[in-house]
Amino acid sequence: MTEPAISQKAFFEKAGAGQLMGVRCQRCGALAIPPKEFCPSCGERAWEPVPLSGEGTIASFTVIRVAPRAHAADAPYAIAAVQLKEGVSLLGRLIDIPLERLAIGLPVRFRPFTRGGQTAVGFGPA
Amino acid sequence: MRRVAVIGVGVTKFGRHERTSAELFAEAAGDALVDAGLPPSAIQALYYGNVVGSETEKQLHTGPQAASVLGIPTVPTTRFETACASSHAAFRHAVMEIGSGVSDVVLVGGAERVLNVTTEESTEYFAYASDARWEQTLGLTFPGVFALVARAHMAKYGTTEAQMAAVAVKNHKHGTRNPKAQFQKEITLEQVLKSPMVADPLKLYDCCPFTDGGAAVVLASEEVARKARRRPIWVLASAAASDWMLIGDKRDLSRVPATERAAASAYSQAGLGPQDINVVELHDCFTIAEIVATEGLGLFEPGTGGIAAEKGWTSVGGKMPVNPSGGLKAKGHPIGATGAAQIAEIVTQLREDAGPRQVDGARVGLTHTLGGNTATVLVSLFGRD
Repeated sequence: MTEPAISQKAFFEKAGAGQLMGVRCQRCGALAIPPKEFCPSCGERAWEPVPLSGEGTIASFTVIRVAPRAHAADAPYAIAAVQLKEGVSLLGRLIDIPLERLAIGLPVRFRPFTRGGQTAVGFGPA
Repeated sequence: MRRVAVIGVGVTKFGRHERTSAELFAEAAGDALVDAGLPPSAIQALYYGNVVGSETEKQLHTGPQAASVLGIPTVPTTRFETACASSHAAFRHAVMEIGSGVSDVVLVGGAERVLNVTTEESTEYFAYASDARWEQTLGLTFPGVFALVARAHMAKYGTTEAQMAAVAVKNHKHGTRNPKAQFQKEITLEQVLKSPMVADPLKLYDCCPFTDGGAAVVLASEEVARKARRRPIWVLASAAASDWMLIGDKRDLSRVPATERAAASAYSQAGLGPQDINVVELHDCFTIAEIVATEGLGLFEPGTGGIAAEKGWTSVGGKMPVNPSGGLKAKGHPIGATGAAQIAEIVTQLREDAGPRQVDGARVGLTHTLGGNTATVLVSLFGRD
């Protein structure tokens, strides 16, 4: 049995402390976030955790106006797919960015987004 | 593989019902058996699609429940859950069961009940088809997923909100000719564009409704099909493809690669290409989903799906009729039943039984069903002698 290079739990603990983590394949160098068991590029199963800068740009975004019950009090709120500087992408809640400023290509920076004591991925102004 | 045919179809009225999903399925399955001219005792297996039964009806084990309510409690029954593509996934496996010689007659279908809960609840339950830890925690909704696709498509190709609205107008027009459709009322471009935002840039009329309903089809081996009451409609191909679950892992949000892979596999199985297709039922859960699907299926070049809708090419009477039933947009989207209902429509079209919404001269039809956050796609092809 092989322990994962970084478990989901550990990822969100570090994210909660402000540090975004990825994993890099020790064979082909491919970067992945979140961690996967096998490297999608080469099929190897040897990863090492790597810190990510958290800097990226908006690849696509939406403003949710009809929200699930747990998020209804936040509506309207924005969610974006963010392409990180390192090449991988992550979905996150946008925080402290006026909705009218949202645009594809807008630079943003990772920050933890916490609801009900649970950390998720967020992005604020760069 | 042996040849497989659809010999019976049945669909309930789509909309609001005061019946359980099992009862809705039983009505559709009963009609499909009458259509096939077979008694219930002819069925050797049930492949069943149901998605949010455990949430809206507090019901698991919905496959055997549906079989019991139908009155065939002893047949092997399996429930499929691939989000909105569930009964199309069930169909593909039933085709393989008959094709491989295990069974000669298999009942396939699905049902869903969601209008017994509030919109807030159903919005939450549908969002369960996205990742619980990485996406649901953000408040991502199902319209939100396709809003991300829409924004990316608009940026890459210049697709407009008016082009998306044209899909809704067209499918509502088709829906007026379908007595089973949830909405049988025409709408205008202006109504779509002025409807309230749900997830920018998708507005209320860009979204399919929540729907209760059931659908069923009877599949048979060639030997049984040749003796059936109705002309057999042959399954020429049935293919599935998946893609990354997380939106962040998808490389290009303006595309649905699972559609492209499933279509390539289906065309290859049948030895056909997009130019051979006469009629299409595809997964227009949102207007942008229809545009991207027409491109992914190879019916139109990437970036031109919106133009096709705007110019009327995808209308009945146009060069590539899409969703003559009204699609999910107007016919409705009882998620567990949708794949089977699309197949029922294509069978009806190929039998030339579709009345005012008939696509003239339809010989080869295609169904396309997408599951959840674009991670599941099924494509099947159908033809007649």
